[in-house]
Amino acid sequence: MPNIVEIAVSDDRFSTLVTAVQVAGLVEALQSPGPFTVFAPLNSAFEKLPPGTITSLVQNPPQLGRILTYHVVSGKYTKADLEKLSELTSLEGTTIRLNFKKNEVKNATAVLTDIEATNGIIHVIDNVILMGP
Amino acid sequence: MILSALILVPLLGSLIVGFYPGVMSPALSRLVTIGFASISLLLTIAIGVMFDLSHIGLQMQDFLPWLPDLGLNYSLAIDGLSFPLVALTNLLTVLLAFNSSVGLKPGEDLKRPRLFYSLLLLVNSGVIGAFLAQNLMLFFLFYEIELIPFYLLIVIWGSEKREYAATKFLIYTALSGILILAAFLAMNWLTGAASFEYGAIDTTDLSRNTQLVLLALLLVGFGIKTPLVPLHSWLPDAYVESSAPVSIMLGGILSKLGTYGIIRFAVGLFPETWVSVAPLMATIAAITVIYGSFCAIAQTDIKRMVAYSSIGHMGYVILGTAALTPLSMVGVISQMVAHGLILALLFYLIGMIESKVGTRELELLSGLLNPIRGLPMISALLILGAMASAGIPGMVGFVAEFMVFQGSFSAFPIQTLVAIVGTALTAVYFVILLNRTCFGKLDTKGAYYAPVARWEYMPAFILTIVILFLGIQPSWLVRWSQVTSDAIAFVM
Amino acid sequence: MTQTLEAPKTKIPPSTHPLAEIIYRLEAGGTMLPDTPENLMQIIGLYKAYAVPMDFYWRDLLYIAEQVFLNPLPWSKYFISDEYLDRENKYSGDNADLRIWRGCGDAHPELREFMAQGELKKNLPNILHHLWHDRINMEFAEECMRSMLWHRDMYKPWNQFDGFLDTDEYKQNCDRVIKAYFKGNPAMLGLYKLFPDMFYEQCRQMSYYSNLGLFWEVMAPVFFEMSDLYDEGKMTSVPAAMDFLVNGIFAIAGRPIYHHVYIKGECFEIIPKSKGFTWLYEAALPYVEAVFYRTAPFRGTKSYNAQAGQVPDSQPDFHYGVLYADKFPVGTAGIPPTFLAQDMLHFLPDYLVEYYKQHCRGEGDTIVQLAVSFQRSMYCVTSAVIQALRAALLYPLDDEDPEHLMANRQFFEAQMDRFLRPEARIRDIQSQEYR
Repeated sequence: MPNIVEIAVSDDRFSTLVTAVQVAGLVEALQSPGPFTVFAPLNSAFEKLPPGTITSLVQNPPQLGRILTYHVVSGKYTKADLEKLSELTSLEGTTIRLNFKKNEVKNATAVLTDIEATNGIIHVIDNVILMGP
Repeated sequence: MILSALILVPLLGSLIVGFYPGVMSPALSRLVTIGFASISLLLTIAIGVMFDLSHIGLQMQDFLPWLPDLGLNYSLAIDGLSFPLVALTNLLTVLLAFNSSVGLKPGEDLKRPRLFYSLLLLVNSGVIGAFLAQNLMLFFLFYEIELIPFYLLIVIWGSEKREYAATKFLIYTALSGILILAAFLAMNWLTGAASFEYGAIDTTDLSRNTQLVLLALLLVGFGIKTPLVPLHSWLPDAYVESSAPVSIMLGGILSKLGTYGIIRFAVGLFPETWVSVAPLMATIAAITVIYGSFCAIAQTDIKRMVAYSSIGHMGYVILGTAALTPLSMVGVISQMVAHGLILALLFYLIGMIESKVGTRELELLSGLLNPIRGLPMISALLILGAMASAGIPGMVGFVAEFMVFQGSFSAFPIQTLVAIVGTALTAVYFVILLNRTCFGKLDTKGAYYAPVARWEYMPAFILTIVILFLGIQPSWLVRWSQVTSDAIAFVM
Repeated sequence: MTQTLEAPKTKIPPSTHPLAEIIYRLEAGGTMLPDTPENLMQIIGLYKAYAVPMDFYWRDLLYIAEQVFLNPLPWSKYFISDEYLDRENKYSGDNADLRIWRGCGDAHPELREFMAQGELKKNLPNILHHLWHDRINMEFAEECMRSMLWHRDMYKPWNQFDGFLDTDEYKQNCDRVIKAYFKGNPAMLGLYKLFPDMFYEQCRQMSYYSNLGLFWEVMAPVFFEMSDLYDEGKMTSVPAAMDFLVNGIFAIAGRPIYHHVYIKGECFEIIPKSKGFTWLYEAALPYVEAVFYRTAPFRGTKSYNAQAGQVPDSQPDFHYGVLYADKFPVGTAGIPPTFLAQDMLHFLPDYLVEYYKQHCRGEGDTIVQLAVSFQRSMYCVTSAVIQALRAALLYPLDDEDPEHLMANRQFFEAQMDRFLRPEARIRDIQSQEYR
C-alpha cells in the first residue's frame, strides 16, 4: 500500500497540494510512520483562493507550511470516527471544527473519504480550510 | 450744557431712528444708533477729562427754571456717584447697538430693528437723565419714562412667556414709582421746601416717625428696582424672558437706578434715620446675597442662573451702603459698575451661546470649549466672566467686593461674613455652570454650530478688557468716586 | 440607506437584530457603510491621505525596531535614515514580491516633499520642523503599537505571535541580541543583569514595532492603488472598494511577520521568519481588534473615571477605537487620533479639500470633517475584514444550504453585537448628516 505522499503524487487532482507540500518542505514529515489524518484539498480548492494568495505563500515556505499543517491531524481517523467528533486538534496547533454527519470539515465538504495509506488516511475536501474558530 | 447734551443726543437719535419718514434699512438704523451712542460715549469721556477729582459735591451744573411756582426746575449735575454709572450706561449702549442680534436663535434676524434701536436710545436717554437730575420731580420723570420702553422691549422681543414677564415687570415697577412719588411729594410738603431741588430738601426737622415712614417708602420703592429680597420676584422672569440685549440693559443699567436711588435719596436725604435702619438693611442685604446664590445653584437655565446671581450681587451694594464707611461707599460705587460690566458680559456670552447652540439648558449644553467644533473663545470668555463674577483677584469684581467687605466688616461683622459665604456660593454655581457647559464632551449628534464671527466677539472683548483693566488698575475706577463717597459717608 | 430596507427573500427567516438592516446589506455583499458616491469619495480620499503618512509610519516603525532598538535615549528615533526612506516596499515598485501598487517602491514623493518643507513650506533644518511639530506625527503610530502590546492575548490561539513573546525561546533570542547591542556598555549590561524582565518587555515592545511596521508596509500600497483606481474611474462603488480590500487581505495573508535587529550591520533574528507567523493572523487581526475596536481611553479633553465604572473591567470590552471614537474633540495635545488627523490634513486630495469647504465650518473644521470621513473609511475596512473572515471560515453568500446561510447570519449578528453599545458610530455613518 502506498503512503500519503505517494497517493497524492499519483493523483493529478492534488498537483497543487503536492507542489505546496514540496515547497514547504513537508514531504519527509508526511512520509514518516505517523499515522496521520490528512484533509487534502483538491486543485479546484486552491483555485478558489483570491489571486496572489498562493504566490505570496509560495514565497514564504514557513507560512505556507503552517497552513498545510492545519490540514493534518495526528492519528488515524476514519469517517466513522470523525462522525463522533465535533473538533480535532491539527498539527498546526489549533482546532478544526467538524460536522462529519454532513461530511463537513469547517466550511469545506469532504467529497471523498477514507482513502487508506500506510501511514494514515486521506479525506479529500473541496476548500482550503483556514485557521480560526 | 454738556450734561444736557448727554440726554439730548440719544433722545434725538431715538427720534430720528424711530420717526424718520423714509425707508431706513436695518443696517443703516444700526449705524445711526451706533453713531449717536458713540457721540454720547465721547461726551462721557470729555466729561471724564473735565471732571474735577478733588471737588466735593456737584459739578457742571445745568439749571433752567421750568415751573418755579411748583418748585420744578430742569436741573442737572454730576458727581462721583453718578459719573461712573453714566459711563457704564453709555458704554453698554454702544456695545448693544453694535450687536443687537445677540441671543437670537440660529438663522433669526432682529425683528423691528428701527423700533428696537429707537427704544434703546430712549432708554439710554432716560437713565442718563435720572442719574443726572438734581430735582426730585425731574428724577421721577426720567425714572418713570423708563417704564414704557422697557415694557415694550420685553414684550416685543422677549421669548415665550414675555407677556407674563412684561406685565409683572410693569406692575412691580409702577408700584415702585408710586411709592417713590408719594415719598417725594411728602418730603416737599412736609418740609415746606421751596422747590424739589435735592439741595432744598432738609428732613432733619421732621419727626423721627415721619422720617421712618418716608424712608420706608423710598426703600420699598427702590428696593423693588434693585431688587431686594423679598421684592425681587419680577426680576428672574423679566431677565430671562427678555432677549439678551434687553437683559443686559435691565441688569446692567436699570437695576443701578434702584441702588442709585437708595444712596442718593435714602442715604442722602435721611442720613440719621438711615443709620438707625442700617442694621436691618444689612441683614436684608445678607439674606439677599444668600438667597440669590442658593436660587442660582438650583437653576437649570444658565440665564436664569446668572439672573439670580445678579440678585445676590446687588446685595453687596446694599450691605456696603448700610455700613456707610468711606471704604464701603467706594466699594459700593465700584460694585455697581463692576456688576454692570460683568453681568453685561455674562448675558452677552450666554446670548451668543443661545444664538449658536439654540439652547440655554444646562442639561443640553456641554463641551463648548471644543477648539474646532465648539465655541472656544466664547467659552473662554465665559470662564473669565464667571471668575470675575465670583470675585477672583485680578478682575474688577474682586476689587469692588473686597472694598465692600473690608469697609462693612467693622460696622456689621456678622452680615458681612454671611455675605462672604455668599461669594463662596457664587463660585459653586459658576463651577456648575462652567463644568456643564464648557467642559465635558461636545454632543456629537447636534454639535454643528455656526462659527462665531470676529465682530460678534467685539463687545465681549471690550467688556473683558475693561473688567481686567479695572481689576488690575482699580484706581481708575475708584478715583471718580473717592471724594463723593467720602462725603456721603461723612454725613453721618 | 439606499440599499435593502426589507429582509431579502432568502431561505432563512428575517433577522431580529437591531442592526438587521446592516446585516442584510452584509449578506448581500455590501459594507456597513451605505454605498453612495459621497461615501466612496470620502473613503477613497481618506485612504490616500492616510497612505502617505502611513508610508512614513511603517518605515519609521521598522527603523525603530531594527536600528534604534533598545537605545535608552532614543532622541533621533523619528529622524529616519535615508536607507529606510529608500527601502523598497515589498508590495509596490518594480522590485516588489507581489506588486499591489503600480507606483514607486521607495518613499512617496508627497511624503518626501512634506518631510523637506513641512507645513511651513520652508526648507528648514529637520530639528526645527520637528520641534515646531511640523512633521509626520509618529506618536499616533506608536500609540497603535502600544495598543497592540497592551491588549495582548488577542485572537488566542490563532494568533501565535503574542504567545511566542512569553516563551523561553524568545527570551534566549532577546538575551543574545541585548548582549550584542550593549556590548561594551557595562552600565546597561549591569542593569540587564539586575532587571532582565524589564529588558524583555522592551524587546516585546520592539517586536510589536516590527509587527505593526510590517503590517502597514502592506496597507500603504493597497490604499495607494485604491486611490489610483478611483482616480482612473475604475473603482465605482463602496462594495467594490471593500472587495479590493478583501482580495488584498487574502493575497497578503501569508506575508511573514518577524523581528530582525541590525547591530553594526549584523542581523539578529529575535523572531525569525521560520516561526511561520503570518500577516493575517499575527498582525492584521490583532491590529483590527486593538486599534479599531479597543485601544485605550485617550488622554485629552475627556477624562475617564475608572472608579465610576466609566472604563470597562475587562480589556475585551474596551471600546475606544476608531469605530467608536468621538471625532469632535480635537486639537488637544495628547490625543493620538488628532495627530493622525493632522497628518492626513496635509495629504488630502483636492476633491476632498473642496468638499470639506462646502460643509460645516469649511476650512475651519476640515480636521474634524476628515476625521469623520476617516471613521467611515475604517468602517469600510472593518467590513472587509468581516467579509474576509466570513469567506475564510464560513460560507459563500450565495450558498444554497440554509444551515450555512444561518451560520453566516449568526456570524454577522455576532459582529454587529459589538456595535450595539451607544458609543458605536455605526448608526451615525448611515447618514451623510454626520460629518
